[in-house]
Amino acid sequence: MPNNSIQNIESLLNGQGYITDQSIVMSVHLAKVLKKPLLIEGPAGVGKTEIAKVMARALDTDLIRLQCYEGLDANHALYEWNYQHQLLQLKMEESGSKTIEEKKKTIFGEEFLLKRPLLQAITHHKHPVLLIDEIDRADEEFESFLLEVLSDWQISIPEIGTIKATHIPQVIVTSNRVRELSEALRRRCLYLWIDYPEFDKELSIVKQKVPDIDEVLAEEICKFMRELRQKRLEKIPGIAETLDWALALSGMHIDHLDKELVQSTLGIILKDWQDIRTAQDSLSELFEKVGIQSKLD
Amino acid sequence: MASENLIERQTALSSHVVSFCRYLRKHKFKLGASDEALALQALSKVVLSDSEVFRLTLRSTLVKNLPQLILFDQHFEKYWEELAKAINSKKKTVEEETLKKKTLADEAQKRGQASLQALKSWLYGNQSSEEKEVPGYSFGKTIQQKDFSLFNSEEMSEVNNLVKSIGKILANRHNRRYQRGKSGDLFDLKSSIQKNMRKGGDIVEMAFKKKQKRKLRIVLLCDISKSMDLYSRFLIQFIYAFQNTYTKIETFIFGTELNRVTEQLRRQEYTEALEALRENFYDWSGGTRIGECLADFNKNYTSKIINQNTIFLIMSDGLDTGDSNLIAPNLKRIQRKANKVIWLNPIAGNPDYKPSTKGMKEALPFIDVFTSGHNLESLRKVVSVFGKSNQNHFRKLQD
Repeated sequence: MPNNSIQNIESLLNGQGYITDQSIVMSVHLAKVLKKPLLIEGPAGVGKTEIAKVMARALDTDLIRLQCYEGLDANHALYEWNYQHQLLQLKMEESGSKTIEEKKKTIFGEEFLLKRPLLQAITHHKHPVLLIDEIDRADEEFESFLLEVLSDWQISIPEIGTIKATHIPQVIVTSNRVRELSEALRRRCLYLWIDYPEFDKELSIVKQKVPDIDEVLAEEICKFMRELRQKRLEKIPGIAETLDWALALSGMHIDHLDKELVQSTLGIILKDWQDIRTAQDSLSELFEKVGIQSKLD
Repeated sequence: MASENLIERQTALSSHVVSFCRYLRKHKFKLGASDEALALQALSKVVLSDSEVFRLTLRSTLVKNLPQLILFDQHFEKYWEELAKAINSKKKTVEEETLKKKTLADEAQKRGQASLQALKSWLYGNQSSEEKEVPGYSFGKTIQQKDFSLFNSEEMSEVNNLVKSIGKILANRHNRRYQRGKSGDLFDLKSSIQKNMRKGGDIVEMAFKKKQKRKLRIVLLCDISKSMDLYSRFLIQFIYAFQNTYTKIETFIFGTELNRVTEQLRRQEYTEALEALRENFYDWSGGTRIGECLADFNKNYTSKIINQNTIFLIMSDGLDTGDSNLIAPNLKRIQRKANKVIWLNPIAGNPDYKPSTKGMKEALPFIDVFTSGHNLESLRKVVSVFGKSNQNHFRKLQD
């Protein structure tokens, strides 16, 4: 029975068009059955965020996303009172006969509560997937606040009382390793490292996402990317860039890479002037390694 | 019946898992009982069709970060290999293994003894006790201009406190203004009223203010070779007084290799942190390889922590024992990305100093501010250029 569910996860992910490998499947499976948050690290553009999206679709539930940034505080993540609406409500009732107590009750009701992602996740009607994206961008104070919520699954709002989670969400935390995360957070999570994909995996991703692509072209693109990533670049291109490139080239009905083509489309995969220079300088070397005979030579 | 089998097998398994965890702990994995329990719980949720499933299950539950991930695979293989070799004497081999490792480490330690001494003196140097009364600027000019290395050991702790407190005073000065905004710590009455005048005087929109946090980040690279240890220590203390003013301070120390110590310095009291560092870096062998360390920095950190708000401070005498051809190109890359590159060279405190080493000469074009940092006064000057723009590209803070 349990093993079934591993294969189940794999086919669910595959069914959603997400090409996985065994370690990803295992981590996702364990996070699900152990009800633990899953911490995913890895370079940019390898599909960390995508896992959460696919998981939500596969489990047929909603994805609630909390995008972290420098300066994100508890208010933005939990809830805020809709102050302006409350004020208007009071103004409207100024001439009415309601007592202060009654007024209090109305303005601190649910309709004036602006739910932010964490509160949304807790009060959701079925187990949602809560994606906490790029946690390393948020401050450390926020991280410890998050720990508290993730361990208790309850939020107290002074005016209303404590709200307990009806359904505990499946939490996915991603990080780009801009800053080290606290030991406490790591201890509570399962850990998954996703690296740039192996050649085979990338090839199947390309074929999956760009079904019309020429077989030879797809292979050449993936080989080229593999070699390009070995170069010393400011920003190493991820899968997203590979896909963009594949999509663009196959859209132009091209079936073979050549130097001129690569030169004119480098901007799709490299987003830094210095990187483009580096790539252009070593284009012949790259082509040699990829094993493509350039038409120009 | 199937479930009976499962339980039986798991009791055998769980003892293996427990001793494997023990083995990992000996290799610096921080595993608690809860991690063990989690691993066992996870194993009960999968069907162990092959060893790969077993490995992945343990890896998902016991590994908490990337360096561990790499180590885990090695340890896993080793451990089970040993186990297969001698199931009965399993404990013995594991112990022997660790014993062997220990002696190896001992030897390495002995070899590095001389340099260890240097490192020790660096790390133990700061024995300052409690914070003394914050002094003003009344301290004699002599003290502020005296080279750090000329103080005797009794004066040292006093100078230490002085460095810290002057740092704090300067830090406060950089942080007196408030910033207005829609959220913050303090209610801003003035702008609230201003904002709401047009709405008939009712406070519809609230305004707040908070202490402005400078967006500047500071990255420190400190040479801790023997000749530099003292100056680096003062620099780190001085800069850390600013940690509430600037958003981020990253600290690296280097000699033959580069080490990021930001976390250690943040988690612990300063003295404790340095002591812990001493434990970790026992294999320090003499010499300074600036070029290699800068290259390493570029490879692993530049794109992540250097941006236009970053001030890159490097403290080194420029006496390089490595490949000095590496210095200039790597520094160039950092300068291109950073707000400012400041090089502190204590030898430059000498009025007759001229950059003579090849590495230093080549590095000069890629340095925005070049100064000595050998006494209090020059440290203060360093901070004074933090917020300034880079109009004159290269300048020497000498007088």
